[in-house]
Amino acid sequence: MDPVAATTLPIPGLLLAGSVAALAASLWLLLPKTSDTVNSRRLGFLFGAAALIGFAATGRSLGGVGADAVFLTVAGISVISGLATIVTRSPVYSAIWFAMALAGVSGVLLVLGAQFLGVATIVVYAGAILVMFLFVLMLAQPSGMAPYDRVSNEPMLAAAAGAVLLGLLTLSIGRLSAAEPPACCRLPSRAQAMAAAPTEGVGSEDDRSATLLAPATAGVERVDADEVAHLGAELFGRHLFAVEVAGVLLLVALVGSIAVVSRGEATETDHRRESR
Amino acid sequence: MIPATLLTNALLVGAVLFCLGLVGILTRRNLIVMFLSAELMLQGVSVTLVAWSRYHGDWGGQVLVVFVLTVAACEAAVALVFVLQAFASTGRLDASAWQALREENLPRVIDHGLPADDRVVPTWPHLSPAGVLPEGDDSRSLERDHV
Repeated sequence: MDPVAATTLPIPGLLLAGSVAALAASLWLLLPKTSDTVNSRRLGFLFGAAALIGFAATGRSLGGVGADAVFLTVAGISVISGLATIVTRSPVYSAIWFAMALAGVSGVLLVLGAQFLGVATIVVYAGAILVMFLFVLMLAQPSGMAPYDRVSNEPMLAAAAGAVLLGLLTLSIGRLSAAEPPACCRLPSRAQAMAAAPTEGVGSEDDRSATLLAPATAGVERVDADEVAHLGAELFGRHLFAVEVAGVLLLVALVGSIAVVSRGEATETDHRRESR
Repeated sequence: MIPATLLTNALLVGAVLFCLGLVGILTRRNLIVMFLSAELMLQGVSVTLVAWSRYHGDWGGQVLVVFVLTVAACEAAVALVFVLQAFASTGRLDASAWQALREENLPRVIDHGLPADDRVVPTWPHLSPAGVLPEGDDSRSLERDHV
Protein backbone atom coordinates (compact mmCIF):
# COMPACT_ATOMS: atom_id res chain seq x y z
CA MET A 1 0.00 0.00 0.00
CA ASP A 2 1.41 3.36 -0.94
CA PRO A 3 1.19 6.17 1.62
CA VAL A 4 -1.22 8.11 -0.59
CA ALA A 5 -3.85 5.42 -0.25
CA ALA A 6 -3.18 5.28 3.47
CA THR A 7 -3.77 8.99 3.86
CA THR A 8 -6.98 8.93 1.83
CA LEU A 9 -8.37 6.19 4.03
CA PRO A 10 -12.02 7.01 4.75
CA ILE A 11 -11.81 5.81 8.36
CA PRO A 12 -10.78 8.39 10.95
CA GLY A 13 -7.84 6.74 12.70
CA LEU A 14 -8.62 8.17 16.13
CA LEU A 15 -12.18 6.87 16.00
CA LEU A 16 -11.02 3.39 15.06
CA ALA A 17 -8.34 3.33 17.76
CA GLY A 18 -10.85 4.53 20.33
CA SER A 19 -13.40 1.90 19.34
CA VAL A 20 -10.79 -0.85 19.46
CA ALA A 21 -9.64 0.25 22.93
CA ALA A 22 -13.23 0.51 24.15
CA LEU A 23 -14.03 -2.94 22.77
CA ALA A 24 -10.99 -4.49 24.45
CA ALA A 25 -11.84 -2.85 27.78
CA SER A 26 -15.47 -3.88 27.49
CA LEU A 27 -14.63 -7.50 26.69
CA TRP A 28 -12.13 -7.67 29.52
CA LEU A 29 -14.60 -6.21 32.01
CA LEU A 30 -17.51 -8.33 30.87
CA LEU A 31 -15.83 -11.72 30.55
CA PRO A 32 -16.24 -13.89 33.65
CA LYS A 33 -13.33 -13.34 36.03
CA THR A 34 -12.47 -13.88 39.66
CA SER A 35 -12.51 -10.16 40.42
CA ASP A 36 -15.99 -9.48 39.12
CA THR A 37 -18.26 -6.94 40.71
CA VAL A 38 -21.55 -5.50 39.58
CA ASN A 39 -19.92 -2.11 39.03
CA SER A 40 -17.18 -3.50 36.81
CA ARG A 41 -19.85 -5.18 34.71
CA ARG A 42 -21.76 -1.89 34.42
CA LEU A 43 -18.55 -0.19 33.31
CA GLY A 44 -18.12 -2.97 30.77
CA PHE A 45 -21.59 -2.36 29.36
CA LEU A 46 -20.73 1.33 29.10
CA PHE A 47 -17.51 0.61 27.20
CA GLY A 48 -19.37 -1.87 25.01
CA ALA A 49 -21.95 0.74 24.07
CA ALA A 50 -19.13 3.18 23.26
CA ALA A 51 -17.41 0.56 21.08
CA LEU A 52 -20.70 -0.21 19.32
CA ILE A 53 -21.28 3.46 18.56
CA GLY A 54 -17.68 3.79 17.40
CA PHE A 55 -17.92 0.88 15.00
CA ALA A 56 -21.31 2.09 13.76
CA ALA A 57 -19.73 5.46 13.04
CA THR A 58 -16.88 3.69 11.25
CA GLY A 59 -19.39 1.83 9.13
CA ARG A 60 -21.17 5.07 8.42
CA SER A 61 -17.95 6.70 7.29
CA LEU A 62 -17.52 3.81 4.86
CA GLY A 63 -20.85 4.52 3.22
CA GLY A 64 -24.23 6.01 3.86
CA VAL A 65 -25.94 2.86 5.05
CA GLY A 66 -26.71 4.67 8.27
CA ALA A 67 -29.83 5.72 6.42
CA ASP A 68 -30.84 2.08 6.03
CA ALA A 69 -32.55 1.68 9.37
CA VAL A 70 -33.41 -1.97 8.82
CA PHE A 71 -29.82 -2.97 8.24
CA LEU A 72 -28.66 -0.94 11.22
CA THR A 73 -31.24 -2.59 13.45
CA VAL A 74 -30.55 -6.20 12.49
CA ALA A 75 -26.80 -5.65 12.53
CA GLY A 76 -27.06 -4.13 16.00
CA ILE A 77 -29.17 -7.04 17.22
CA SER A 78 -26.73 -9.61 15.90
CA VAL A 79 -23.63 -7.87 17.28
CA ILE A 80 -25.08 -7.15 20.73
CA SER A 81 -26.44 -10.69 21.03
CA GLY A 82 -23.11 -12.09 19.87
CA LEU A 83 -21.35 -10.13 22.61
CA ALA A 84 -23.89 -11.35 25.15
CA THR A 85 -23.37 -14.93 23.93
CA ILE A 86 -19.73 -14.96 24.91
CA VAL A 87 -19.93 -12.96 28.14
CA THR A 88 -23.03 -14.50 29.75
CA ARG A 89 -22.12 -16.77 32.63
CA SER A 90 -25.00 -19.20 32.41
CA PRO A 91 -24.57 -21.48 29.37
CA VAL A 92 -28.32 -21.75 28.85
CA TYR A 93 -28.64 -17.98 28.59
CA SER A 94 -25.64 -18.05 26.31
CA ALA A 95 -27.43 -20.44 23.96
CA ILE A 96 -30.54 -18.29 23.98
CA TRP A 97 -28.52 -15.17 23.21
CA PHE A 98 -26.97 -17.13 20.37
CA ALA A 99 -30.47 -17.76 19.01
CA MET A 100 -31.03 -14.01 19.13
CA ALA A 101 -27.76 -13.46 17.26
CA LEU A 102 -28.94 -15.94 14.66
CA ALA A 103 -32.14 -13.97 14.22
CA GLY A 104 -30.05 -10.84 13.65
CA VAL A 105 -27.76 -12.60 11.18
CA SER A 106 -30.79 -13.92 9.35
CA GLY A 107 -32.06 -10.35 9.09
CA VAL A 108 -28.70 -9.22 7.72
CA LEU A 109 -28.82 -11.96 5.11
CA LEU A 110 -32.36 -10.91 4.14
CA VAL A 111 -31.26 -7.29 3.77
CA LEU A 112 -28.39 -8.46 1.60
CA GLY A 113 -30.93 -10.23 -0.61
CA ALA A 114 -30.12 -13.86 0.21
CA GLN A 115 -33.63 -14.95 1.06
CA PHE A 116 -33.07 -18.69 1.06
CA LEU A 117 -30.05 -18.50 3.34
CA GLY A 118 -31.81 -16.10 5.68
CA VAL A 119 -34.62 -18.58 6.18
CA ALA A 120 -32.28 -21.58 6.25
CA THR A 121 -30.24 -19.96 9.03
CA ILE A 122 -33.32 -19.76 11.21
CA VAL A 123 -34.61 -23.22 10.31
CA VAL A 124 -31.35 -25.16 10.43
CA TYR A 125 -29.40 -23.28 13.09
CA ALA A 126 -32.00 -21.98 15.49
CA GLY A 127 -34.42 -24.79 14.84
CA ALA A 128 -32.13 -27.81 14.82
CA ILE A 129 -28.54 -27.19 15.88
CA LEU A 130 -29.31 -24.87 18.77
CA VAL A 131 -32.00 -27.17 20.12
CA MET A 132 -29.45 -29.98 20.03
CA PHE A 133 -27.07 -27.80 22.07
CA LEU A 134 -29.81 -27.13 24.58
CA PHE A 135 -30.58 -30.84 24.81
CA VAL A 136 -26.96 -31.59 25.64
CA LEU A 137 -26.89 -28.76 28.17
CA MET A 138 -29.98 -30.09 29.88
CA LEU A 139 -28.55 -33.62 29.88
CA ALA A 140 -25.15 -32.63 31.21
CA GLN A 141 -25.57 -29.55 33.35
CA PRO A 142 -29.18 -29.14 34.41
CA SER A 143 -28.44 -27.11 37.54
CA GLY A 144 -27.37 -23.89 35.87
CA MET A 145 -24.01 -22.30 36.49
CA ALA A 146 -20.95 -24.34 37.37
CA PRO A 147 -17.79 -22.90 38.98
CA TYR A 148 -15.92 -23.04 35.69
CA ASP A 149 -18.54 -20.79 34.09
CA ARG A 150 -17.48 -18.00 36.42
CA VAL A 151 -13.83 -17.87 35.36
CA SER A 152 -12.21 -17.67 31.95
CA ASN A 153 -8.78 -18.30 30.49
CA GLU A 154 -6.66 -15.16 30.00
CA PRO A 155 -9.51 -12.67 29.55
CA MET A 156 -7.24 -9.64 29.15
CA LEU A 157 -4.97 -11.10 26.47
CA ALA A 158 -7.86 -12.61 24.52
CA ALA A 159 -9.90 -9.38 24.63
CA ALA A 160 -6.92 -7.36 23.43
CA ALA A 161 -6.17 -9.86 20.66
CA GLY A 162 -9.76 -9.95 19.46
CA ALA A 163 -10.14 -6.17 19.49
CA VAL A 164 -6.86 -5.66 17.64
CA LEU A 165 -7.83 -8.25 15.04
CA LEU A 166 -11.15 -6.48 14.57
CA GLY A 167 -9.34 -3.17 14.15
CA LEU A 168 -7.06 -4.65 11.49
CA LEU A 169 -10.00 -6.19 9.65
CA THR A 170 -11.82 -2.84 9.75
CA LEU A 171 -8.73 -1.12 8.38
CA SER A 172 -8.50 -3.55 5.49
CA ILE A 173 -12.22 -3.18 4.77
CA GLY A 174 -11.78 0.59 4.74
CA ARG A 175 -8.82 0.27 2.40
CA LEU A 176 -10.99 -1.89 0.16
CA SER A 177 -13.67 0.75 -0.06
CA ALA A 178 -11.05 3.46 -0.62
CA ALA A 179 -9.67 1.56 -3.58
CA GLU A 180 -13.08 0.48 -4.80
CA PRO A 181 -14.33 3.08 -7.32
CA PRO A 182 -11.44 2.66 -9.76
CA ALA A 183 -11.69 -0.74 -11.40
CA CYS A 184 -10.19 -2.77 -8.54
CA CYS A 185 -13.31 -4.59 -7.52
CA ARG A 186 -15.36 -4.11 -10.59
CA LEU A 187 -13.07 -5.72 -13.12
CA PRO A 188 -12.86 -9.12 -11.41
CA SER A 189 -16.59 -9.18 -11.11
CA ARG A 190 -17.06 -8.54 -14.80
CA ALA A 191 -14.33 -11.02 -15.70
CA GLN A 192 -15.94 -13.54 -13.40
CA ALA A 193 -19.26 -12.98 -15.11
CA MET A 194 -17.61 -13.44 -18.50
CA ALA A 195 -16.03 -16.67 -17.38
CA ALA A 196 -19.24 -17.88 -15.81
CA ALA A 197 -21.54 -16.85 -18.63
CA PRO A 198 -20.63 -19.51 -21.24
CA THR A 199 -21.06 -22.41 -18.83
CA GLU A 200 -24.27 -21.06 -17.42
CA GLY A 201 -25.70 -19.80 -20.66
CA VAL A 202 -26.44 -23.38 -21.68
CA GLY A 203 -30.13 -23.91 -21.23
CA SER A 204 -30.70 -20.73 -19.26
CA GLU A 205 -32.59 -17.70 -20.36
CA ASP A 206 -30.89 -14.64 -21.74
CA ASP A 207 -31.86 -12.11 -19.09
CA ARG A 208 -29.91 -14.05 -16.49
CA SER A 209 -26.61 -13.70 -18.31
CA ALA A 210 -27.54 -10.08 -18.93
CA THR A 211 -27.79 -9.44 -15.18
CA LEU A 212 -24.56 -11.33 -14.68
CA LEU A 213 -22.79 -9.12 -17.19
CA ALA A 214 -24.06 -5.89 -15.70
CA PRO A 215 -21.39 -4.10 -13.69
CA ALA A 216 -21.89 -3.79 -9.97
CA THR A 217 -23.12 -0.24 -9.80
CA ALA A 218 -25.00 1.40 -6.99
CA GLY A 219 -28.72 1.56 -7.35
CA VAL A 220 -29.18 -1.79 -9.05
CA GLU A 221 -32.22 -3.60 -7.75
CA ARG A 222 -31.30 -5.31 -4.52
CA VAL A 223 -33.87 -8.05 -4.36
CA ASP A 224 -33.84 -10.81 -6.93
CA ALA A 225 -37.36 -12.16 -7.37
CA ASP A 226 -36.14 -15.61 -8.45
CA GLU A 227 -33.33 -15.81 -5.92
CA VAL A 228 -34.25 -19.26 -4.63
CA ALA A 229 -34.72 -20.64 -8.14
CA HIS A 230 -31.35 -19.33 -9.25
CA LEU A 231 -29.62 -20.66 -6.15
CA GLY A 232 -31.22 -24.05 -6.66
CA ALA A 233 -30.22 -24.13 -10.31
CA GLU A 234 -26.64 -23.27 -9.34
CA LEU A 235 -26.58 -25.78 -6.48
CA PHE A 236 -27.96 -28.68 -8.48
CA GLY A 237 -26.22 -27.67 -11.70
CA ARG A 238 -22.60 -26.75 -11.26
CA HIS A 239 -22.29 -28.08 -7.71
CA LEU A 240 -24.25 -31.30 -8.01
CA PHE A 241 -21.27 -33.48 -7.09
CA ALA A 242 -20.61 -31.37 -4.00
CA VAL A 243 -24.25 -31.80 -2.97
CA GLU A 244 -23.81 -35.57 -3.21
CA VAL A 245 -20.64 -35.37 -1.13
CA ALA A 246 -22.50 -33.29 1.47
CA GLY A 247 -25.20 -35.95 1.62
CA VAL A 248 -22.58 -38.64 2.20
CA LEU A 249 -21.02 -36.43 4.87
CA LEU A 250 -24.34 -36.11 6.69
CA LEU A 251 -24.84 -39.87 6.55
CA VAL A 252 -21.33 -40.55 7.85
CA ALA A 253 -21.79 -38.05 10.69
CA LEU A 254 -25.07 -39.69 11.64
CA VAL A 255 -23.67 -43.22 11.59
CA GLY A 256 -20.45 -42.12 13.27
CA SER A 257 -22.14 -40.35 16.18
CA ILE A 258 -24.44 -43.32 16.81
CA ALA A 259 -21.45 -45.67 16.59
CA VAL A 260 -19.46 -43.63 19.12
CA VAL A 261 -22.36 -43.58 21.57
CA SER A 262 -23.22 -47.26 21.23
CA ARG A 263 -19.57 -48.32 21.41
CA GLY A 264 -19.21 -46.45 24.69
CA GLU A 265 -22.28 -48.20 26.08
CA ALA A 266 -21.08 -51.59 24.83
CA THR A 267 -17.76 -51.25 26.66
CA GLU A 268 -19.60 -50.26 29.82
CA THR A 269 -21.81 -53.34 29.72
CA ASP A 270 -18.82 -55.53 28.87
CA HIS A 271 -17.00 -54.04 31.83
CA ARG A 272 -19.95 -54.79 34.08
CA ARG A 273 -20.16 -58.33 32.74
CA GLU A 274 -16.47 -58.86 33.42
CA SER A 275 -16.76 -57.51 36.93
CA ARG A 276 -19.56 -59.91 37.71
CA MET B 1 -26.70 -6.95 -6.54
CA ILE B 2 -25.92 -4.64 -3.68
CA PRO B 3 -24.13 -1.29 -3.60
CA ALA B 4 -20.56 -1.08 -2.34
CA THR B 5 -21.56 0.76 0.83
CA LEU B 6 -23.81 -2.09 1.91
CA LEU B 7 -21.00 -4.51 1.06
CA THR B 8 -18.51 -2.78 3.36
CA ASN B 9 -21.03 -2.51 6.18
CA ALA B 10 -21.94 -6.17 5.91
CA LEU B 11 -18.24 -7.06 5.87
CA LEU B 12 -17.86 -5.04 9.07
CA VAL B 13 -20.70 -6.95 10.73
CA GLY B 14 -19.12 -10.23 9.67
CA ALA B 15 -15.74 -9.15 11.06
CA VAL B 16 -17.29 -8.16 14.41
CA LEU B 17 -19.10 -11.50 14.73
CA PHE B 18 -15.94 -13.41 13.83
CA CYS B 19 -13.81 -11.56 16.39
CA LEU B 20 -16.42 -12.00 19.14
CA GLY B 21 -16.52 -15.72 18.43
CA LEU B 22 -12.72 -15.83 18.51
CA VAL B 23 -12.58 -14.17 21.92
CA GLY B 24 -15.28 -16.51 23.18
CA ILE B 25 -13.52 -19.67 22.06
CA LEU B 26 -10.22 -18.47 23.53
CA THR B 27 -11.54 -17.54 26.94
CA ARG B 28 -14.57 -19.58 27.90
CA ARG B 29 -14.11 -22.93 29.61
CA ASN B 30 -17.51 -24.51 29.18
CA LEU B 31 -17.35 -26.89 26.21
CA ILE B 32 -20.85 -25.98 25.03
CA VAL B 33 -20.12 -22.25 25.12
CA MET B 34 -16.90 -22.88 23.20
CA PHE B 35 -18.93 -24.58 20.50
CA LEU B 36 -21.43 -21.73 20.45
CA SER B 37 -18.50 -19.36 19.92
CA ALA B 38 -17.26 -21.46 17.01
CA GLU B 39 -20.73 -21.28 15.49
CA LEU B 40 -20.63 -17.51 15.96
CA MET B 41 -17.41 -17.40 13.93
CA LEU B 42 -19.12 -19.46 11.23
CA GLN B 43 -21.97 -16.93 11.17
CA GLY B 44 -19.50 -14.10 10.64
CA VAL B 45 -17.92 -15.96 7.73
CA SER B 46 -21.36 -16.66 6.28
CA VAL B 47 -22.29 -12.97 6.34
CA THR B 48 -19.02 -12.11 4.60
CA LEU B 49 -19.51 -14.78 1.92
CA VAL B 50 -23.08 -13.74 1.19
CA ALA B 51 -22.08 -10.07 1.00
CA TRP B 52 -19.37 -10.78 -1.55
CA SER B 53 -21.64 -13.13 -3.45
CA ARG B 54 -24.38 -10.54 -3.74
CA TYR B 55 -21.89 -7.82 -4.63
CA HIS B 56 -20.39 -9.76 -7.50
CA GLY B 57 -23.70 -11.24 -8.63
CA ASP B 58 -22.08 -14.66 -8.40
CA TRP B 59 -23.77 -17.60 -6.70
CA GLY B 60 -20.61 -19.33 -5.51
CA GLY B 61 -20.56 -17.61 -2.14
CA GLN B 62 -24.13 -18.55 -1.32
CA VAL B 63 -23.56 -22.14 -2.41
CA LEU B 64 -20.56 -22.21 -0.09
CA VAL B 65 -22.74 -20.95 2.77
CA VAL B 66 -25.17 -23.81 2.11
CA PHE B 67 -22.28 -26.21 2.57
CA VAL B 68 -21.17 -24.34 5.69
CA LEU B 69 -24.63 -25.02 7.11
CA THR B 70 -24.33 -28.71 6.22
CA VAL B 71 -20.90 -29.10 7.74
CA ALA B 72 -21.96 -27.17 10.85
CA ALA B 73 -24.83 -29.60 11.37
CA CYS B 74 -22.50 -32.61 11.00
CA GLU B 75 -19.90 -31.01 13.24
CA ALA B 76 -22.45 -30.22 15.93
CA ALA B 77 -23.78 -33.79 15.92
CA VAL B 78 -20.37 -35.44 16.18
CA ALA B 79 -18.97 -32.87 18.61
CA LEU B 80 -21.93 -33.07 20.97
CA VAL B 81 -21.54 -36.84 21.12
CA PHE B 82 -17.92 -36.36 22.19
CA VAL B 83 -18.93 -33.66 24.68
CA LEU B 84 -21.43 -36.04 26.23
CA GLN B 85 -18.80 -38.78 26.43
CA ALA B 86 -16.35 -36.36 28.03
CA PHE B 87 -19.02 -35.35 30.50
CA ALA B 88 -19.74 -38.99 31.28
CA SER B 89 -16.10 -39.62 32.13
CA THR B 90 -15.32 -36.46 34.13
CA GLY B 91 -18.69 -35.22 35.34
CA ARG B 92 -17.93 -31.68 34.19
CA LEU B 93 -18.32 -29.69 30.99
CA ASP B 94 -14.97 -28.07 31.74
CA ALA B 95 -12.22 -27.86 29.13
CA SER B 96 -9.63 -27.67 31.92
CA ALA B 97 -10.76 -31.07 33.18
CA TRP B 98 -8.70 -32.44 30.29
CA GLN B 99 -5.51 -30.57 31.07
CA ALA B 100 -3.66 -33.85 31.58
CA LEU B 101 -3.48 -33.82 27.76
CA ARG B 102 -1.47 -30.57 27.67
CA GLU B 103 2.13 -30.24 26.57
CA GLU B 104 4.69 -31.21 29.18
CA ASN B 105 6.28 -27.75 29.37
CA LEU B 106 3.01 -25.92 29.98
CA PRO B 107 1.94 -24.95 33.48
CA ARG B 108 -1.04 -26.49 35.09
CA VAL B 109 -4.26 -24.45 35.31
CA ILE B 110 -5.22 -24.08 38.95
CA ASP B 111 -8.34 -22.20 39.99
CA HIS B 112 -7.49 -19.80 42.80
CA GLY B 113 -10.53 -18.78 44.74
CA LEU B 114 -13.47 -19.15 42.42
CA PRO B 115 -15.82 -16.17 42.65
CA ALA B 116 -18.95 -16.53 44.65
CA ASP B 117 -22.19 -17.17 42.89
CA ASP B 118 -23.68 -13.68 43.00
CA ARG B 119 -26.74 -14.45 40.95
CA VAL B 120 -29.99 -12.93 42.01
CA VAL B 121 -32.32 -15.81 42.72
CA PRO B 122 -35.40 -15.24 40.58
CA THR B 123 -38.79 -15.26 42.19
CA TRP B 124 -40.90 -17.81 40.41
CA PRO B 125 -44.64 -17.38 40.17
CA HIS B 126 -46.49 -19.14 42.93
CA LEU B 127 -49.16 -21.43 41.56
CA SER B 128 -52.00 -22.51 43.76
CA PRO B 129 -52.46 -26.29 43.75
CA ALA B 130 -55.33 -27.57 41.70
CA GLY B 131 -57.16 -30.76 42.63
CA VAL B 132 -55.99 -33.29 45.17
CA LEU B 133 -52.71 -35.15 45.12
CA PRO B 134 -53.41 -38.76 44.20
CA GLU B 135 -52.39 -41.46 46.61
CA GLY B 136 -49.29 -42.93 45.02
CA ASP B 137 -47.01 -45.80 45.76
CA ASP B 138 -43.50 -44.50 45.08
CA SER B 139 -42.00 -47.92 44.63
CA ARG B 140 -44.46 -48.82 41.93
CA SER B 141 -44.53 -45.49 40.11
CA LEU B 142 -41.94 -46.57 37.58
CA GLU B 143 -43.74 -49.77 36.72
CA ARG B 144 -47.00 -48.03 35.99
CA ASP B 145 -48.13 -48.65 32.43
CA HIS B 146 -51.13 -46.32 32.42
CA VAL B 147 -51.93 -42.97 33.95
